[in-house]
Amino acid sequence: MKPPPFEYEAPTTIQEVVALLRQHDGEAKILAGGQSLMPLLNMRFARPTALIDLGRVADLDYIREENGMLAIGAMTTKRSIERSELVKSRQPLLHASTAWIAHPQIRNRGTVGGSMAQADPAAEYPAVALALDAEFVIVGPDGRRSVAASDFFVTYLTTALEENEVLSEIRVPVLPARTGWSIQEVARRHGDFAMVGAVATLGLDGGSCNSARVVLFGVGPTPLRATSVEQALIGQAASETLFASAAEKADEGLEDTISDVHASAEYRRHLARVLARRALAEAAERA
Amino acid sequence: MAVKIPNHIDELPTSSPRFIGRGVERVEDIGLITGRTEFIDNISMTGMLHCAILRSPIAHAKIESIDVSAALELPGVVAVVTGEDAAKWSHPAASSPEGWGTYCLPTDKVRFVGEPVAAVAATSRYIAEDALELIEIEYEPLAVVMDPVAAMADDSPLVIEERGSNVMLQRVFNWGDTDAAFAAADHVFSEKFRWNRLGANPMETYGCISEWDPNELNITVRGSFQSPSHMALGRAMTFGLPSNKVRMIAQPHGGSFGGKGGVRGTDISLLLSRKTGGRPIKWIEDRMEYLTAGGSQAWDRRYELSIAVSDAGIVTGLKVKLVDDLGANGEGFGAISAAKPLAAFTGPYTIGAARYDLSLVATNKAPASPYRGMGPPPHNFALEQMMDIAARNLGIDPAEFRRRNFIPKDAFPYTIPSGNEYDSGDYQAVLDKALALSEYTKLREEQERLREQGRMIGIGIASAIEPGVFDWNAYAIVGVQGTGVPEGATVSIDILGKVMVRVGFALEGQGQYTLVTQLVADYFGLEMDDVNVTMLDTASAPPAFGPGGSRLGVAITGAVLGACDRIREKMCKVVAGLMQTEPENIQLMDGVFGIPGVPEAQMPMAQVAGTMLGASHLLPPDVDPRPEATHVWTAAGRTPVDEEGRAKSYLTAAHAVHIVLLEIDPETGMVEILKYVLVDDCGTRLNPATVEGQTQGSVAQGIGAALLEEYVYDEDGQLLTSTYMDYLLPTISDVPAPLMGEVVTPSPFTPLGAKGCGEGAIHTTPAAVMCAINDALLPLGTRADEVPAAPNRLWKLIRAASEKS
Amino acid sequence: MATKHTVRIKVNGVNHESEVEARTTLVDFLRGPLALTGTHVGCEHGVCGACTVLVDGRTARSCLMLAVQADGAEITTVEGLATPDGLHPIQQAFVEEHGLQCGFCTPGFLMSLVELLHENPDPSDDEIKDVLGGQICRCTGYQSILKSVHSAIAKLRTAGLAAQPPLA
Repeated sequence: MKPPPFEYEAPTTIQEVVALLRQHDGEAKILAGGQSLMPLLNMRFARPTALIDLGRVADLDYIREENGMLAIGAMTTKRSIERSELVKSRQPLLHASTAWIAHPQIRNRGTVGGSMAQADPAAEYPAVALALDAEFVIVGPDGRRSVAASDFFVTYLTTALEENEVLSEIRVPVLPARTGWSIQEVARRHGDFAMVGAVATLGLDGGSCNSARVVLFGVGPTPLRATSVEQALIGQAASETLFASAAEKADEGLEDTISDVHASAEYRRHLARVLARRALAEAAERA
Repeated sequence: MAVKIPNHIDELPTSSPRFIGRGVERVEDIGLITGRTEFIDNISMTGMLHCAILRSPIAHAKIESIDVSAALELPGVVAVVTGEDAAKWSHPAASSPEGWGTYCLPTDKVRFVGEPVAAVAATSRYIAEDALELIEIEYEPLAVVMDPVAAMADDSPLVIEERGSNVMLQRVFNWGDTDAAFAAADHVFSEKFRWNRLGANPMETYGCISEWDPNELNITVRGSFQSPSHMALGRAMTFGLPSNKVRMIAQPHGGSFGGKGGVRGTDISLLLSRKTGGRPIKWIEDRMEYLTAGGSQAWDRRYELSIAVSDAGIVTGLKVKLVDDLGANGEGFGAISAAKPLAAFTGPYTIGAARYDLSLVATNKAPASPYRGMGPPPHNFALEQMMDIAARNLGIDPAEFRRRNFIPKDAFPYTIPSGNEYDSGDYQAVLDKALALSEYTKLREEQERLREQGRMIGIGIASAIEPGVFDWNAYAIVGVQGTGVPEGATVSIDILGKVMVRVGFALEGQGQYTLVTQLVADYFGLEMDDVNVTMLDTASAPPAFGPGGSRLGVAITGAVLGACDRIREKMCKVVAGLMQTEPENIQLMDGVFGIPGVPEAQMPMAQVAGTMLGASHLLPPDVDPRPEATHVWTAAGRTPVDEEGRAKSYLTAAHAVHIVLLEIDPETGMVEILKYVLVDDCGTRLNPATVEGQTQGSVAQGIGAALLEEYVYDEDGQLLTSTYMDYLLPTISDVPAPLMGEVVTPSPFTPLGAKGCGEGAIHTTPAAVMCAINDALLPLGTRADEVPAAPNRLWKLIRAASEKS
Repeated sequence: MATKHTVRIKVNGVNHESEVEARTTLVDFLRGPLALTGTHVGCEHGVCGACTVLVDGRTARSCLMLAVQADGAEITTVEGLATPDGLHPIQQAFVEEHGLQCGFCTPGFLMSLVELLHENPDPSDDEIKDVLGGQICRCTGYQSILKSVHSAIAKLRTAGLAAQPPLA
């Protein structure tokens, strides 16, 4: 299992990255943490003409609070996020979801940008990004643009990144006050990709739900907002019964539900309902 | 004069063993812990090239054409081989059953995804893999057969046409009057079970460096093989070479568990070596190769069991029907896993009549290989489920039900209907201890309490025999010939009284070099550091099989103690000569030879050795002057099988009872093991720490089998679980910490009363876990009869049962 | 004609300068040209952990890194743990507690533990399992490994080595 031949570029600025992408005419791949890309290269499932290593590009590794948002450089490792007091206090959902990802040895090198750009349907970060209405800052030949999470994840392993663009920053809103959160997952073993997962944020005001986000992952080609569930909650008094009945709608609108050796589509749809309920219950406790 | 190998530690010439029976630190560990031990991929040789193998992407197809010309042009590529070379220079591989082997590179068609089709030797593995992509092969797809039952039909596509059928073997064995037992029974219970493919997965894949001198026509292979002598004979047969021209050098290897595989890769790399004029060719199997086409897959089984039971809960008859999917050929020797169950067919029970309706079938899957336990783990799982089914139906507690059926402790040696003899055992004591250790009564009370809260709690008890010290006759019914598995050791004492022991097997992980060191050190009153163990290759080693079939601990103990005894005899003669008395008057004790009770007539062993080697002129003329001896140990009393496949095969019968407490989350089907208790009786424990390690490792593999590990093929024959993302090995979080107890019922037949225990817990763990799962499902009135009990499967059962009620 | 890249790398305190192809993985580079064969290859897709080394003090799957990515880095492998005077306390603990059988996965476990115990000299069992969950062993069943870790914690504490940087 040895990689096929490719050229290797180690640019030091993001503009160089864009130029190199263009030069290789869509046949180059970005190398971030390598934890997703290297297995594909070793198995020869990926055959880029060149790898553009972001590892030496300046200013892509940071976590900053700016105007009620956390700005996180694309090359920030999951380890950094896991150990960031800032993230833990300002965006505990993002923080907590990090511990679900693989194992520490992988998190040491895996990057937030890499996860988002990989857009694995069973990954935690894309679901959290969707739940939090994250923004994706993309740099391309025409400069910078911002894409909302709801537009960023297009389909299976595909994002809104164009051929010559690179993700440079992810911005997540700070968790508002009186907002609970939860991430629930069912995986075969601890650290495995989720069979199904649910992320929830829940804002309570005097025991009534005034905001709700429920995002499912592992059920379809991209993370999915369970809008039917959300709508069933708004304005209602938080209770176990409410969450149970709302969660029953979690599989509404699920198309192309994944079916594989670990979980059938039917099982995933069922888990979606169960985990949506559990996520809401836990989020309510934290609100 | 017969060699004296003590059956009891007390009989050793030591007043108090300092090492035997203790969990001493292993001598193997310093090299391993510093990363210096030479696994095969550490080795580089002059002129060495690297092999990569091109494998079939399709499960069943005719090979229309192969064009390797572009590959040969790639700089760095030195040679390419295909089926043409295989047909020219080799025979089809040995197999079980006989006649189900093919060329290492096919000449006509491919029969499973991953089957090697061509191979390249190049200056690096990277370049060799580049070259594979330049080989053009035209395939004409053929109909694929993936289901063994379909494969048995007359109109099924044939995997190996020349055989005329996909049925490798079909036979019914009848032991005792099964029909009468069933006719007379108060109750008959029947159930079907499905055990899915899984397998060994040592952390090191197979690897070899092969040299075939095309002019002198001799072969030398260095590799990570479990049994070098077996590999050597196999290569001699495959390449039509005289056995004295085949030399295998086993490297320390990273586990094997029966399923290291590697025969094809060895043969392919040998072809490449010959083609390059004898250059060493290194082939390191990568993990995807291993999972797809290596020694990785075993036990793909469909079972139907019936038991005949009396009102009093006594099981009088057992019928087992097995359809075993062995994949595309018999080269992996997976068939032996269908034969070994005979060694303990009726478990620890007094079941008097049994029937085995066995079908071994070929399909377009990877050829099945052995795996730890060699077949009984699925058999035991099925049998233990039947015991529970009977117990439940008769309203008898599962522990009590087993107790009523146990072979009593005064009945040993006990011959079971399928022919094997259990050496010794005290099954009641093991059960009592397990029940006490697990606080069984309290567990049941706790289960009741939690069930009232709506939690799905299960308690499983399983009891199984773990056969040890295999003989070839255990596999006779699937065409394996012969009896007698020798293991030899040469013990050699130098002029300063330090010892070198030469054995014929390499490190695999079980700590046998430490065991050898313990034995010799205690025998001659030495320190562990005074003994050095080294391996000889097949050209020089004493007869040796190596690890396998839970034999080596016992076998090497016999070999080493036998060699020590021979040296002792010689040294007694030497000392007697020097002291001018008769050899019968000389005794060895605590490292000193002498006349008991005569303080002046004592001679330390080192002095005796020094005299023999340095002053041989002083020795009596009829004494062999070397303080060295070789002894080869084989199990006594092994006979060929009779017309019903019966024979005394495995020499020892270890016994275990496992008790598992677990919870199923009914919403997700996920299982959490809350408590794991086991009591094991494997006779004398020569190194309790290594025995414990083997047990814990085997429990982990049993958990993997019960809950996680499964090879899945799609209907086109593609393996869907070809990486570790999908083939799930247990991690530290998946394995409970077993609470372990022991009972010691020594074997009357073995050196120091030890029983084989290396395969161990996997015989019992899957059964225990599945019993617990079915106990948890009991209130729902449903059963889990398919292994592994993956969450999706359990959830489906739970949902179906809930919908019915 | 594959371009060669210069890699300057310090491994176990020794400086190396080599020319490598871009596609050469770090593990193949360590095992091949640098002849440091203590780091093992188990799966080449980052799951088994046998190839785990320290890169600038942090664990990394060397099968999932390119040698060129390690240019300028300091690597520690299992060969950097023992000294001519003796085993590293973690190694000693494994030997005493039978924390290995075939030994093939062991270097990866050791490197993960060096990182863990350097950062957190007194981890809970949950914290230990969180780290070791990323290392697969097929032989031991993990219980003796846990015992080895407990022993290593005590040894490091006694020797005052808790704050020992991984490269020393």
